[in-house]
Amino acid sequence: MERASLLTGAARVPSFGSDAPLSITAEPGRVLGLVGPPGSGLTRLGLSLLAAPSATGMVAVVDVRGWLCPIAAWEVGIDPERLVVVRCPDRRPWLQVTASLLEGFPAVLAEVPTGVRDSDLRRLAALSRARRSALVLRPVSGDLPAGVLHLRVESTGVRWEGVDRGHGALLRRRLTLRASGKGARGIEQVLEMEDDGSHAVRLVPGLAAAPAGLAG
Amino acid sequence: MVAATPDAVAAGVRVGMRRREAETLCPTAVTLVADRGAEAAAFELVAQTIEAVVPRMELAAPGLAYMPTAGAVRYYGTEEALVGKMVAAVEVVAPRGRFGLADGPFAARLAADNAVDGPLIVGDTALFLAGLDVSTLGIDELVDTFRWLGVGTLGDLASLPRAAIASRFGPVGLEAHRIASGEDRSVEPRRITDEIVAEDFFDPPLDDFERAAFAARALAGRLLAAVAPIGAKPHRVEVEAESALGEMRSRTWRSAHAFSEVELAERVRWQIRAWVESGGVPGGIVRIRLSPADLSDLGRQLRLDEDAASEDDARRALSRAQGLIGPDAVLQAMPQGGRDPGERIHWYRWGEQPGALLDPEAPWPGRLPEPSPTLVPPEPRRFEVEWEGGFPVRVRLGTRWEPVLGWAGPWRQTGRWWEGEPAADRYQIVTSAGAFLCEVRAGKCWLVGVYD
Repeated sequence: MERASLLTGAARVPSFGSDAPLSITAEPGRVLGLVGPPGSGLTRLGLSLLAAPSATGMVAVVDVRGWLCPIAAWEVGIDPERLVVVRCPDRRPWLQVTASLLEGFPAVLAEVPTGVRDSDLRRLAALSRARRSALVLRPVSGDLPAGVLHLRVESTGVRWEGVDRGHGALLRRRLTLRASGKGARGIEQVLEMEDDGSHAVRLVPGLAAAPAGLAG
Repeated sequence: MVAATPDAVAAGVRVGMRRREAETLCPTAVTLVADRGAEAAAFELVAQTIEAVVPRMELAAPGLAYMPTAGAVRYYGTEEALVGKMVAAVEVVAPRGRFGLADGPFAARLAADNAVDGPLIVGDTALFLAGLDVSTLGIDELVDTFRWLGVGTLGDLASLPRAAIASRFGPVGLEAHRIASGEDRSVEPRRITDEIVAEDFFDPPLDDFERAAFAARALAGRLLAAVAPIGAKPHRVEVEAESALGEMRSRTWRSAHAFSEVELAERVRWQIRAWVESGGVPGGIVRIRLSPADLSDLGRQLRLDEDAASEDDARRALSRAQGLIGPDAVLQAMPQGGRDPGERIHWYRWGEQPGALLDPEAPWPGRLPEPSPTLVPPEPRRFEVEWEGGFPVRVRLGTRWEPVLGWAGPWRQTGRWWEGEPAADRYQIVTSAGAFLCEVRAGKCWLVGVYD
């Protein structure tokens, strides 16, 4: 299995039964969805996807809850001067704000507030295609409609290492993810990623990337 | 609807109205599609009339002409005499024109807009501008933000410190402040070298509009490409044409912002058409030459890995966002010294300077190691934790209780005891649903971070 390239911030997984590796990246003109409850590690994964585009331009995060801590963004390699955080807790301006950012930024990570309509998300997807901007969506609760996403990444488990009963400190986390959608060539795939806080999230070697259904 | 005759206006039609609405209000009206090229051609006679009174006339659009008046006023004696001469000459070929005179093109344009009962000569330009609404600036993305901040008129804007406006809003804001203060866009008259010219010869002579359109596009592209390496953009371009019989025609076109290739090509096309239709270039055009009449130097030197267009795009997007949700919601952050994640972040509004930061390199005992929590509530939230023998065993997440799989800590924060702040203990708590950072203070537990 290939190790993820830290320079591009992309994780490549050789997929079961197909030619080219699966890549979890923020691709221009495409929408990637990160689905799972808070604590799953998806926000950090989302930030690490912005690291590569931030090397050549500014990136934006739409923060609905108002909780985003930019230290995590700096730890995954985003330059503070290249990051803008737009706080938008209200669902009503959210669509226009996110659309405006897609028109001006090559990559946008947007939390999605509850109650946003599927049709609005489809409009954003169309705008992302038209402007060749990468859009990463992270719903604060619930799921995202399948028709909008090029790649859907769902968290199915998270395991921390480094803490014991009072000793140590959080060191490293392993996320188990399920990827599906056109970006996964229509095959559901399970992958594991590692996050130790100081690098972009990367793939763990040694885990069979088998399609869901075959994994235990 | 971009224009309406007085009868249509009397029936209720207004500029900006949708076509269907206008046609409903005025069913017997005839609706024509706007053809700016035809307008330019029709305006050519008026342009020539104006040129006869003041030779250095420049067109911004069909129907909108600007001219510097200093020399003309000296020639005609007084501003009133000049304006009288102009009105008398133009009324013959184009009745109901509007004439305004003021310091600078922006104020002059607004004077003309407001000149409904005859020409308007503005005595005190600063006073005239002060009462005008900020929307007259025509910079949509800034206007909403200005209103948010209580800046409703150009006078309000001009009264704010220029440095503050510049640092918050960048070059666009600086421009707006200059205009509001009556100091129109300051164009640095660059030394224009003779090489910056785009020229084409036509054999057979040019007299058909399709060829003219191609020629215009090609010349516009070449001129902008020629000025690009020196980092400058033209706001005024002189278009010259030579007819088959050797006659020369020239017209300067101007724009409030730097010309794009499309805009410049359009104006060249209009001008060619205007000259051809007015019989100004008998035999067709054998040569067209574009040259910049001035160049401005907006913007700073970009780093090699930066791109001018994308800087502008990002800035426009953020200005629009500010207009939608306010400047306090569009933020950047710098690292600074501190112990907990909240302290280590210095937030500031996009467009402003960060201000003084605590030294991030200084030692901060008790600081948590990386990784940092990705989500930090603005205020600590109550967090229910069940303890047994001094150890956390269960935490409440939403409606369910999750067993604690592991934990680390405490990291003790002594707090500002001299202000009576109690000491606190920080714990990292791991469950199968994720890890959390919590703080125990005075017997109560608070959530201060989520490792999402």
